[in-house]
Amino acid sequence: MKIFKTYKTVLIAGALLIASCAHEDQPKESQLDFSTPVKTDLDKWIGTNFLDPYNINVYYEWNQNLVDNNRYLYPPLVAKVQPAMEVVKKIWIDSYTTIGGKEFVKKIAPREFVLVGGINLNTNGTVTLGLAEAGQRVSLFQIDNLNKKSRASVTQFIHTIQHEYVHILNQTKPFDEQAWAKLTPSGYTSSWYVEAIATSRSLGFITSYARLNIYEDFAETAATILTSSKAEYDAILAGVTDATAKANIKAKEALVVKYYKEAFNIDFYALRDEAQKNTDIVINN
Amino acid sequence: MKAKYIYKCLLISFVALLLGSCSSPEVDAKFDENATDRLSGRQKELNDLLLSSADGWKAVYYTDSTQLGGWTHLFKFLPGGKVDMASDFTGRDGEIDTKTYQSQYNIQVGSTVSLVFSTQNRIHLLSDANNYPTAGLLAKGYLGDFQFYYYGQKDGNIIFKTNRNGHMLRFVKATPKDWTDLPKNVPIIKNITGDMNSPLFRLLEINDGTATKNYDFSYNTSARFGTGYSLDPAVNTSYDLALSFNPLGAYSKLPLDVKGQKLTDFVYDTPTNSFVATGKDGVKATIKYTNAPPRLTDDYKVTLPAAGAPSTAYGYIAANLASAPTNSQLCVFLLNEINNASAAKVNRVQFTFFNNRTVDIMYSFTGGKATVYHRATITEDAVNKTIILKHSLWHNGTSVIAADPLVKNLDDKLMDPKGLYVTRESFRIQFTNTIYTFTAASSSFRITTYAFQ
Repeated sequence: MKIFKTYKTVLIAGALLIASCAHEDQPKESQLDFSTPVKTDLDKWIGTNFLDPYNINVYYEWNQNLVDNNRYLYPPLVAKVQPAMEVVKKIWIDSYTTIGGKEFVKKIAPREFVLVGGINLNTNGTVTLGLAEAGQRVSLFQIDNLNKKSRASVTQFIHTIQHEYVHILNQTKPFDEQAWAKLTPSGYTSSWYVEAIATSRSLGFITSYARLNIYEDFAETAATILTSSKAEYDAILAGVTDATAKANIKAKEALVVKYYKEAFNIDFYALRDEAQKNTDIVINN
Repeated sequence: MKAKYIYKCLLISFVALLLGSCSSPEVDAKFDENATDRLSGRQKELNDLLLSSADGWKAVYYTDSTQLGGWTHLFKFLPGGKVDMASDFTGRDGEIDTKTYQSQYNIQVGSTVSLVFSTQNRIHLLSDANNYPTAGLLAKGYLGDFQFYYYGQKDGNIIFKTNRNGHMLRFVKATPKDWTDLPKNVPIIKNITGDMNSPLFRLLEINDGTATKNYDFSYNTSARFGTGYSLDPAVNTSYDLALSFNPLGAYSKLPLDVKGQKLTDFVYDTPTNSFVATGKDGVKATIKYTNAPPRLTDDYKVTLPAAGAPSTAYGYIAANLASAPTNSQLCVFLLNEINNASAAKVNRVQFTFFNNRTVDIMYSFTGGKATVYHRATITEDAVNKTIILKHSLWHNGTSVIAADPLVKNLDDKLMDPKGLYVTRESFRIQFTNTIYTFTAASSSFRITTYAFQ
């Protein structure tokens, strides 16, 4: 009785609350459309090659929530989607899987690829080739222009993925930013796009875009090495006449190699060779 | 007051609030259905509507009629999210592909219901950042959208609002004739676009029933938009026309207001190669070509140095001026014709005007070919404000030579019997030198030069 007295208020309020719901409509089935959309052959191919094994989805149909709505972009040609993603699979995923292990890309990868047909032109005349957002989504532009038979075209395309993936790796495990920042501190500039590549290299940067900040510098250095054969990369270095600049580029290369080894136990040069081997396979088939 | 009374008062208040809150459960419903039902209902309504028209829908899409014209699109929606589409958009190569292509569409539900053309087709051509018709539209393409918010129906048409720009867009039920008519827009569009032999200038001639006034019609063929600027310095009037095309001619979304009459339909007139909009009481507006620049200037006098004065020189330098926008298509064609004929490539075409009414036109080349000069006399046509060049001789700097057949076709344009217009341009290319253009009076030839003094 004492307990009843103590809690009678709660009991009365509870009874009232429950009673107040007595005449409410009970929930029925969802009004939202949960029916599975009809899958095209392309959807099935994406499912088999990306979604099921790697939990990576590929968006090629337009969804304005995935793309900057202020940009004048459009979806890719459907016929270009599978060839582009085959390049991604062969050169990026297969290379990292061979060298980094079966689970490497499964664990660290963007969860979404957003494909865009056209060129993402900026109002300053520069072109954005790709975007990596929060390590989760990589947007790839100019899918319509990819020519699998052209080394230059494939290299530019895969450079974008390699570059964005380096950002994702960096977001997982940071590189030695302090050491990097000490190498060429005065060369960084927001107007990198007006700089000639030869000038940038003479200042110790592998590309002009690398001059935006140390993060882009790291990603550009790694991506350029991964998308060049040893001979091509040696030729780039041979073209740099300034001894300090050459030493700085080589020092950055050493930091990249060290990062891959220490953070992921990956032999960076073996990864480069694998990517080159797979690039040859893509172009010649 | 004891605490238990306070407690009782609170309890009574609480019970009263609980009961009171249930006392009027009915609220005035603003809608018959809840938001989810309404949206899914609208989604079905739009899809059913799109599928309902046996011959699909037609939309003349004006993306921004303050600076661009319109592009006709035909859509045939099919079950399974497929859509057949055709348009009269002019591609970057100048070709107009009106063939029908299939892609996918879907009806998306967000804050409202929208139609999205989700895989690539013709309508996406208007939304290519890298293909823009004016410098002001850099990275914005043709300001096109391909996601349209469903606004409702009116008179059997579907009304949409475009996603980015918020413009109204009307889908009208298409007929079989609309599909067969679409390719017939092509010759009409080509008539106003012209080809390399079409006269370089356009006039907008407006007759208000009593008098005719000419306007310099600056028309951007890619943008399908033109402005007529008054040729009378005292009249500060200009007219904008935002054109779309049909098998008979052009339609301007911006009406041309002449004495209160609004002219919109410009019918193509084959014999005169012009577009004519006819109103009442003699009111008429005509878009026509002309070889003569609408504004004639005295700029040609720089080519006529007075006796004793130093000579003047103007040169086309291939390395810097080959891509000058003021070189006409015909000029580019003739230069390419020379360059493709052999290893010799045109390096310079340079005029030196002497103070005795003669000119040396120098043709220099890379690829090992020696420089040649064509000397001509100059006659001033003060009425038409041209200079007329007449052949004297060819030489190589030291002696007379035979005419050079390699440059004949280009040289013939400079020897135009009606003469050359000379224009001091207001823009610069790479260097601070003033730019002068030389335009043939009876062909579409125009070459761009640097002034060297």
